[in-house]
Amino acid sequence: MTEKNANNLMLFIIFLALTVIMTVMIPERFLAINNFRSMMRQFPEYGLLALGIMLAMITGGIDLSIVGITSLTGVVAAQVLIRHAESSLPSELFVAVAVLAALGVAVLCGLLNGILITIANVPALIATLGTNSVFLGLAIVFTEGHGIRGFPPEVLLIGNGQALGVPVPFLIFLGIALFLGLVLNRTRLGFNMVMLGSSPVVSQFSAINNTLVLIKTHIMIALLAGTSSIIILSRVNSMRPGYGSGYLLLAILIAILGGTNPNGGFGTVLGVGLGIGSLQILTSGLNFMGFTPFFRNFIYGLLLLLVMVINYYRRQYSGRILVPKAGAGTESGQQ
Amino acid sequence: MTDNFLEARSISKAYTGVQALDEVTLNIGRGAIHCLVGENGSGKSTLIKIIGGVVTPDGGEVIYNGTSYSHVRAIDAIREGVQIIYQDLSLFPNLSVAENISLNQMVEKQNKVMNWKEVRRIAADALSEIDEELDLNEVVENLSMAKKQVVAISRALTQNAQLIVMDEPTSALTREEVDHLFSVIHKLKEKGIATLFVSHKLNEVFEIAESVTVLRDGKKVGDYPASELDNDKLTYLMTGEKIEPEPYTYAPDTGTETPTLEARDLSREGEFKDISFKLYRGEILGITGLIGSGRTEVALSLFGLTNPDSGEILIEGSPVHVSTPRQATKYGISYLPEDRLTQGIFQHQSIGDNIVVTILRKFLDKFGLLQTSQKIASEKSWIERLSIKTPSRNAPASSLSGGNQQRVVIAKWLATQPKVFILDGPTIGIDVASKKTIHQTIRELAESGMAIIMISDEIDEVLKNCNRVLVMNKGQIAGEFETPSEVSEDEVFELVTKDTTNEVA
Amino acid sequence: MKDFLKGLFKHNETYLALIIIVFAGVLTLINPQFMSFRNIFSLLKNSSGTAILAVGFLLVILTGNIDVSFPAIAISAQYIATTTLIALDSNSLALAFAIAIGIGLLYGSINGFFVTKFKLPTLIVTLGTFNMFHGFLLEFVGTRSINIGQLPDAIKDFGDINLFTVAGSGSNPVGFSIFVGILIVVLLLTFFILRFTLLGRGIYAIGGDAEAARRAGFNVNRIQFFIYMYVGVLAGIMGMLHIALINYGNPNYIVDSELLRVIASVVLGGALITGGKGSLTGTMLGVLLIVTLEKNLVMIGLSSYWQEFFVGLIIVVGVTMTHVQAKLQSTQKVTIVRSH
Repeated sequence: MTEKNANNLMLFIIFLALTVIMTVMIPERFLAINNFRSMMRQFPEYGLLALGIMLAMITGGIDLSIVGITSLTGVVAAQVLIRHAESSLPSELFVAVAVLAALGVAVLCGLLNGILITIANVPALIATLGTNSVFLGLAIVFTEGHGIRGFPPEVLLIGNGQALGVPVPFLIFLGIALFLGLVLNRTRLGFNMVMLGSSPVVSQFSAINNTLVLIKTHIMIALLAGTSSIIILSRVNSMRPGYGSGYLLLAILIAILGGTNPNGGFGTVLGVGLGIGSLQILTSGLNFMGFTPFFRNFIYGLLLLLVMVINYYRRQYSGRILVPKAGAGTESGQQ
Repeated sequence: MTDNFLEARSISKAYTGVQALDEVTLNIGRGAIHCLVGENGSGKSTLIKIIGGVVTPDGGEVIYNGTSYSHVRAIDAIREGVQIIYQDLSLFPNLSVAENISLNQMVEKQNKVMNWKEVRRIAADALSEIDEELDLNEVVENLSMAKKQVVAISRALTQNAQLIVMDEPTSALTREEVDHLFSVIHKLKEKGIATLFVSHKLNEVFEIAESVTVLRDGKKVGDYPASELDNDKLTYLMTGEKIEPEPYTYAPDTGTETPTLEARDLSREGEFKDISFKLYRGEILGITGLIGSGRTEVALSLFGLTNPDSGEILIEGSPVHVSTPRQATKYGISYLPEDRLTQGIFQHQSIGDNIVVTILRKFLDKFGLLQTSQKIASEKSWIERLSIKTPSRNAPASSLSGGNQQRVVIAKWLATQPKVFILDGPTIGIDVASKKTIHQTIRELAESGMAIIMISDEIDEVLKNCNRVLVMNKGQIAGEFETPSEVSEDEVFELVTKDTTNEVA
Repeated sequence: MKDFLKGLFKHNETYLALIIIVFAGVLTLINPQFMSFRNIFSLLKNSSGTAILAVGFLLVILTGNIDVSFPAIAISAQYIATTTLIALDSNSLALAFAIAIGIGLLYGSINGFFVTKFKLPTLIVTLGTFNMFHGFLLEFVGTRSINIGQLPDAIKDFGDINLFTVAGSGSNPVGFSIFVGILIVVLLLTFFILRFTLLGRGIYAIGGDAEAARRAGFNVNRIQFFIYMYVGVLAGIMGMLHIALINYGNPNYIVDSELLRVIASVVLGGALITGGKGSLTGTMLGVLLIVTLEKNLVMIGLSSYWQEFFVGLIIVVGVTMTHVQAKLQSTQKVTIVRSH
C-alpha cells in the first residue's frame, strides 16, 4: 500500500470512529439532519483555507496571510455591495461585481506573496506574516475598524441558501475541492508543485520554472481565501476586518491532520476532506458537551502537536521498513 | 606496542546488502604521509568514517596508540588524536577565523565561559605552528578555499591531532596552493603528526605521499611505497583492468557540418571568460579542471541556470537565447548535474515521476489533463530501456542504488530527446560496474548522433571516453587536446593546476 | 578613523540608527516636545517589555528556528501570577515574579521538548503550544479583566519605581523607570551569554551550520532547549512589566499585539531569518523604530488604523532588503544551494 492510501485509510478510520462515538454519546442531537446541515454551512469557510494551507505545504512553504486576504477581499466586496442601496441598478449586478472584485484583489494579494517569496527570495513564513498585516491593515484602514453591513438580500443566498436540500457553501466547497484534486493529480502544475515541494533545487535542475509554479500556487491560495470571504460575508451578513483570526490555526491543523507534509512534497485533497470531517465532528461534539471555545482552542493546539508526534513515529517506523539501516539516501556513506 | 599510530584490522561493513568494506586492513605510522586511494564507491569514505568513529564496523578492530577498540565512538577517536577534515571542511561561515580554530577545543574541554584572549591565543598558536598568518578577526565566509583549509588544519592541531585525515584536499586548489599545502604537511610531519590523504583520482598528493593503500570494490588491493607507483600502475590497481577500453575516436567533418552547439566568447563575471568552442553531433567533448575552474559554471550557463554577461550560444548554427532551463530544454540542451543527491533526483518521489518530470507536457490532452496511461507506459519503457533495477516504478527513488539513481537521471533527460547532453560528473559516487555501463551508454548515445559534453575531474575518465578534451583553469580554456588517447595524464594535469596570472575579472 | 567609518557603514545597524535619527528629527520639528526627557523616558519605559521579548526572539532566530508562542507565555505568566496573588491576598512582588518566571520556564520547556525530541517544524509546534497555553489560561484560569482596584499594591508600586529622576521642562521631575533598568540587565546578561559563553557561541554556530556544530561537539539539542526556556523566562518577566505598566490585566492582551511588533523589530534589526546573523544592537534599534513609529503615527498625520498596515509593511520591506542583499552577495550560490 502506498503512503498516500495508508494515510487516508487511517484518517477514514478516525473519522468513522469519531462519528460512532458521537452518535453513541449524544444520539438524538448528533444525528439530527439539521446538525449536518449546519456543519455543511460552517466548515467551508475554513475548509477552503485549509486547502490553501495544504497547497502551500505541498510546495514546502506556508501561507500565514490567508486570514488577512480574507479580510481584505471581504471588505472590498462589502464596499461594493453596500453601494446597491444608492443605485437603481439591479442588485444581482452588485453581487457579481463584488465577487469579481474580491477575487481580483485576491489575485493581487497572491501575486504579491508569490513575488516576495520567489523574486525577492524571502522565506514564505516571514513574507506572508508581513503581508498578512499589510492586507489586514488595509482592510482596517478602509473600514476604520468597523464592520460593514447592509448587503442586498441576493448575496445572502450564497451563505445561507440550499440547493436540493444541500447548503450552498458546501456545494461551493465540494466543487472547488474536486477541481483542486484534478489540478493536483492530473495537471502539470499540480505535478510540478509536488516535485518542487520535494526539492526546489532538483526541480530547478529539472527545468521546472520554480518562480512561476510558486506564484501560481500563491494565487490559488489567495483565490481560496477570497472565496472563503464571500461565503463569510454572505453567511454572517456583515464583514469585519480580522473576522476568523482563529481560522489560521484551524486551517494548519486540518492540513496536518489530513496528512500533508509540512516539509513539502506530499498532500491530498481527500486527506484534507477527511481531516475537516473529523475535526468538525469533534468540534460539534465538544460544543454539545458544553465546552467553551477556549477549551476548543486548547484541544486544537494539543491535537496539532499530537498529530505531528504520531506522524513522527510513523515516519520512523515506515522509514525503518523502506530503508533499513543506512538507506540509499546515504549513498555517500558507501564510497 | 608498535610504532604505528593507527592499525585498522580486518574491517568489514555492509550497507543494505552491499559489502562496502571487506576485511580491510590499514596501518599508519607516526608522522607518516599516507595515501588511501580508490575509485568512487571503493569504500574509502566508509573506512575513514570508521577510523573517525562516525560509523561502526560490522567486524574488525581499530587500534590507536596500542589501545584496541571494537566499537569506536567519535569522542574516542578525537581523544586518541584522530582529526578528519571532510571535503566541506565543517567550518562556521558566519564566525571568525579565531573562533573557527578554537571552538572545538573549547567544547571538548567543556569550557563554559568564552575567554576571547584564550581563543585568539589558541588560534594564533595553531597558525604559528604551521607558520601561517591569517587575520584572526576575518569572517570565514570571506576566505578562499585554500585559506579555509588552513583554518581547518589549524583547528585539528588545537585538539592534539596525531593523525589528520584529509578528504580530497586538492580538488579546488591551484598548483601554488597545493605546494603551499605540502609545506604545511611537511611541518606536521616534523612534529610527528601523520597525514592520511583520501582521494579518488591520481593527483599531486602522490608527490609527497610515502606509502599508498589501494582499495577496490570494498577490498584492499595492497600497500605500496609511493615511489614504486606510476600512473599506469595505479590506474590498473584501482580499476583492476589491464586492457584499456577502446578510446573513443570520432572526427566530425568540420568543413561541411554545422556544429550542434557553439559557444562564442561566453563570459560571466567571477566565473569564466571568453569561452568559445564547437561541438558536433557524434562527439563526446570532455571538459576537465579544478572545482571553481569554470567547468561546471559554463555548463550551468549553457543550461540557462545562470546567464552569461556576454557572448553567444548557437544551436545548429542559429543564435539562441537561453536564460532558463526550460528554454535550454526546448533547444535540446540537457544537463545531468554534478550532485545527484541534491540536484539530480527527487529522493522521496517515485522513480516514475522522477523520469517523466521533464516531459510531462507530452501526456497532456487538449484540456491540459494528464493521460495517466500514457505516462505510465512511458515510465515503464524508460525503466526497461536503461535497465533500472527496481521492483516498481512507484518505489521512491531513495530505494535505488547510486548507479540506478544515475540511470533515472539520465532517463529523465534522454526522454526530452536532447541534441546536446551535458553530463557533469556522471560517475561520481557510483560503483565500478555501474560506471562502465554508464560510460557505455554515453558512447552509444554519441554514436546515435547526440552531441555530448562530459565534465569530470578525473582526467583519466575524460581522456578515455572523449574524442576531444578541453582543460579549464581559472575560468578560461587553458588547452585543447584533439586526440586524447595519445595524451598523457601528466600533460593534462599540468594545465589543470597551472597558476595562471590572469584571473577572471 | 577612515577604516572605522568604512566598517561602520558595512553594518545594518548604522543605517537603522540614521533612519531613527532622521525620523526623530522630523518628529521634533512637528512637535518640539518629542525630544524632551519626559517623552524619551516614557518611550523607553513603554518599549521595555517589547524589547525584552525581542531579545528572546532574536536568540531563536539566530539558530534558524522560530517561536510564535511567546506572547501566550507572557500573558499566561502575567495572569496566573497576578490572580494567584489576589487569591492569596498576597502583596509580594517577589512571589509574583517567581510564579511568572516559573510559568515561563515550564512553558518554555514544553516547547523545547517538542522541538528537540521530535525534530518538528518549530513554527507548527509553537503555533500549537500558543493555542494550548492561551486556551488553558482562558478555560482553566479565567477570562475576567483585573482592574486597578483588584491589582495588588506591590505591582502598582513596581510600575512607579524610578531609578533616578531629572528635572523636567515643567515643575514635575521626570523619572527613569526601573523597567529600563531591567531591560538593561537582560541585555547585559544576554550579551554576556552570546559573547562570552560557549553556549552563546554555540547558538551562532548552529545558525551558521548545524551539522558542523554537531561535529564540533556542541550539544545542539541542549542549546535549543535552553533557548526556548530562556524565551519563556523573558516572556514571564515581560508579562509582569506589562501589567505594572498599564495597571490593568486582561487575558487577551499581549497575544494580539506583541507577536508582530517583536518579529518586525528583530527582522528590521537585520537578523537573518535563516539563522546565524543578528545582533542585540540591531534588535534594540528595531524595537525603538517600531515603537516610535507606532506611538507617533497620529503625530505624522495618520490615524491609528494605519498601525497594523505599517508594521506589516515594515516587515515586508525589512526582510526584502535583508534577503535581496543576501541574494546579491551570493549570486552564484543561488543555483547551487543545497536543499534542506
